[in-house]
Amino acid sequence: MAMLVVVTESVPPRLRGRLAVWLLEIRAGVYVGDVNKRIREMIWEQVGLMAEEGNVAMAWSSPHESGFEFQTHGENRRVPTDHDGLNLVRFLPQNTN
Amino acid sequence: MTFVPLKPIPIKDRVSMVFVGRGQIDVRDGAFVVVDEVNGERMHIPVGSVACLMLEPGTRVSHAAVKLASTVGTLLIWVGEAGVRLYSSGQPGGARSDKLLYQAQLALDDTLRLKVVRRMFEIRFGEEAPQRRSVDQLRGIEGARVRKLYQALAKQYGVKWDGRRYDPNNWGRSDPVNQCLSAATACLYGVTEAAILAAGYAPAIGFLHSGKPKSFVYDIADLVKFETVVPAAFKVAAKSPSKPDRQVRIECRDAFRQTRLLKRLIPLIEDVLEAGGIEPPVPAPDSQPPAIPEPDTIGDVGHRSQ
Repeated sequence: MAMLVVVTESVPPRLRGRLAVWLLEIRAGVYVGDVNKRIREMIWEQVGLMAEEGNVAMAWSSPHESGFEFQTHGENRRVPTDHDGLNLVRFLPQNTN
Repeated sequence: MTFVPLKPIPIKDRVSMVFVGRGQIDVRDGAFVVVDEVNGERMHIPVGSVACLMLEPGTRVSHAAVKLASTVGTLLIWVGEAGVRLYSSGQPGGARSDKLLYQAQLALDDTLRLKVVRRMFEIRFGEEAPQRRSVDQLRGIEGARVRKLYQALAKQYGVKWDGRRYDPNNWGRSDPVNQCLSAATACLYGVTEAAILAAGYAPAIGFLHSGKPKSFVYDIADLVKFETVVPAAFKVAAKSPSKPDRQVRIECRDAFRQTRLLKRLIPLIEDVLEAGGIEPPVPAPDSQPPAIPEPDTIGDVGHRSQ
């Protein structure tokens, strides 16, 4: 079991409702829970199927170097990048497509 | 728009219980919510991450909410004052005929039943049950030991103890410690019933207890009662708080977490039944496999897949 955080942006209400079946929505679009790998993967699968035009980021604590891992779905100005084995985020300027 | 199925997660990965009192329970955007009509407030309950939901007097549940609870395999329990159960539903049992037949076979054969009861004794008291005793005799020994345990706990917490006394028709009449015990055991029975259903067994087929809808629930709950809810009840009774039932629930939830109860319950059920030393029945050679194969699930075997 590990701490899990899911942040959603402009996703359909039915995905927001679905996430609230297992996680706690502490702020609009921000979900927190304590789940294991299988359940996290199940939740992620549903995000992929239901997010439509929106975008989602999911982070969870792990024995990884940084203490956590994360993955994203959909388009966002923040893009994860591998920086010498460490996962960092690039922030794109507004006019970039 | 695609249809994304919703499935139960294992009982061991859940929070033990959530009590809901007052409010309209409904589904909004596919999530389980409690709406307070007076304030217009909405409370989300992560229903899929809870083993059982205790509905207190003053709640109304919509059809959609019951459907959602059953889809995610969460047991709904309607409780009265002090957590006395009135009715329960929301998590249909009987999904596994092999498990039910196995349990029934163990309960029907006197030799096998005695083996199961002996194993329960062993788990409960950490020592082998005395040789050549009948189920009735073991029950007697157990009763005497339990009375001593209650007395020891009463002494430890400095609570006056006149025995486990309660009137099922009038819970308010028993003394505070017995009220705390009733509320605490109701919590344990809720999560135990959820675990038994999730494992695919029947709550009514008991080994020491019999003839009640929850006989097997009492059997399994008794195995862990004195390390979880009984000390919790005495602890609360000793402090005589203004809201004992609320305090009892908090203590029970703590006790469940500390003893990792939800992780242990299903293995405990399997362990007890394995003492019979028989294999679960294999399908008859002339039986037909299901026309539509069961979908993959990450939940427990007893959860019905949609």
